[in-house]
Amino acid sequence: MMKIKETTRGILLILPAIIVISIFTVYPLIEGIRISFTNKHFLKEEDQYIGFNNYTDLIDDEVFWLSLYHSIILTTVVVLLQFVFGLILAWAMKQKVPGMSVFKSIIMTSWVIPVAATVIMFKFMAQPDIGFINIFLKLLGFKDLNKYWFGDINTAFPFIVILHLWRNIPFYGIAFLAAMQAVPTSYYDAACIDGANAWQKFRHVTLPGIRNMIVVMVTIHVLWTFNNFDFVYLATGGGPVNTTDVLPVYVYRKCWTSYSLGPGASMGTIMYIILMVYFIIYIKIYERKEKT
Amino acid sequence: MKKGIRNIIRIGITYFIVIVSLVFFIFPILWIIYCSFRTQSSIFTGEIISPVKEYTLENYETILSVTDFITYFINSFQIAIIVTFLSLIFSILAAYGLSRFTIRGKNVIILGIFSTQMFPKVLLIIPLYLIIFSFKLLDTVMGVVFGQLILVLPFSIWMLKGYFDNIPNDIDASAKIDGCNILQTLFYIILPIAAPGIMVAAFFSFVVSWGDYLIVSIVNQSQRTATLTLVIQRLSSALLIRWGQVAAATTLTIVPTIILFSFVQKRLVEGLTAGALKE
Repeated sequence: MMKIKETTRGILLILPAIIVISIFTVYPLIEGIRISFTNKHFLKEEDQYIGFNNYTDLIDDEVFWLSLYHSIILTTVVVLLQFVFGLILAWAMKQKVPGMSVFKSIIMTSWVIPVAATVIMFKFMAQPDIGFINIFLKLLGFKDLNKYWFGDINTAFPFIVILHLWRNIPFYGIAFLAAMQAVPTSYYDAACIDGANAWQKFRHVTLPGIRNMIVVMVTIHVLWTFNNFDFVYLATGGGPVNTTDVLPVYVYRKCWTSYSLGPGASMGTIMYIILMVYFIIYIKIYERKEKT
Repeated sequence: MKKGIRNIIRIGITYFIVIVSLVFFIFPILWIIYCSFRTQSSIFTGEIISPVKEYTLENYETILSVTDFITYFINSFQIAIIVTFLSLIFSILAAYGLSRFTIRGKNVIILGIFSTQMFPKVLLIIPLYLIIFSFKLLDTVMGVVFGQLILVLPFSIWMLKGYFDNIPNDIDASAKIDGCNILQTLFYIILPIAAPGIMVAAFFSFVVSWGDYLIVSIVNQSQRTATLTLVIQRLSSALLIRWGQVAAATTLTIVPTIILFSFVQKRLVEGLTAGALKE
């Protein structure tokens, strides 16, 4: 039997996954970018190269700019709030009080149930008259506030934020907790001897200790939130009057409702460029910090 | 004395956070389950509690008998099982290869796999649809499966690689001395040790597939591949929404994931964050 080189064996192991990822992820990305330079239409067989026309058309597309703006705001607000509340939750879960282990074991339930179900649960609670939110407000005496919260131009966007928070904060909390527990207690003892107060301990021991986890959680959630399609599409479809439109939803509508794949692909490509710029900046910062 | 007061404040704040969290994160789930046992008319009264005779199994009976809910349930289940199985095979092999072997450009490959996370899925599905179409897989279970694989594979590989990295290399070395080849080492020695991590990867794949809406919505064209997420979405956007039935259908959709979650719950975070916690 021939002896296969170590490297070759390694490559053979990763090859199946690489092939699948190439066919169903890398090729579609390249093909998607190519389509963005064509006038491809869903119902037409051929497409022609039209240069940057799809991109220049976007300049006058108000919904595109609005969606881009919403996408950036949504991602920033959601990740920031998740990070802060995740830290608070992790702090609470670190306290040794009766009942905490039960709490920890159920709190991540929101993360495992399908997004479509989450959206229905909140749409149901937001119904006028029969939804729990409105029933509760009525009990408190705020009868005038009765409305469909996803259908109001002022409250639809905050409710989209709430959907994201509902799903992910427990995940942040549990992940940060795991990282906090990996920080050696001797560091805290040393800080105590130096006379550090609770805030200083948090600032100079806990935060640096869980830095890796923070970086990973924030990075993947920026990508996931910016790319997230389900929450907005299922909850509001981008409405009312585009107040919750985000790029993924607008791209989807362009492609699967208007059937104009070219313009849809050009917006998708812009999303990719934005995320790539974010990713490169992040790696540069991370590398620089690593050195110091 | 001062320390005692501080302690009480600390415990007080802790329980405050716990209670607020329970209300915010758990109550909505309980509420929809609770309402799935109420009649349409009792939900429409806008009261929180109804007379005893207004509680019923009628919603479940209707959902299970009148609609094809069971077919959709089986579709969802079948697709999720195949996705889980395939993603495990691909990601176990790849993660082991990346964790144990010196491959030229390995870091580039790892970064490349991770960076597929930032590919906008709404962009990918345009060509993906055309690929699935040309493979004649539209409206088939395998069409959905291949689409969903791209959602789980990169993260699954990254997660399992982190898990394998935490298993000492000596174990492989001693297995090799005992005459195991690579696959034997992987399947008989490493996998049993990594079982908790594998379970988490399996759970992750299952849950993502079970909850997917995007891929199914483009591949599906008929009852053959319609899954629960599609169906509950349709039920809840009907012109006249029967909230009792929607609640029952939603409950049946979320309960399987909650049951599975209860099995892996302790291991979940450890597995999901294995890649982030090493070093």
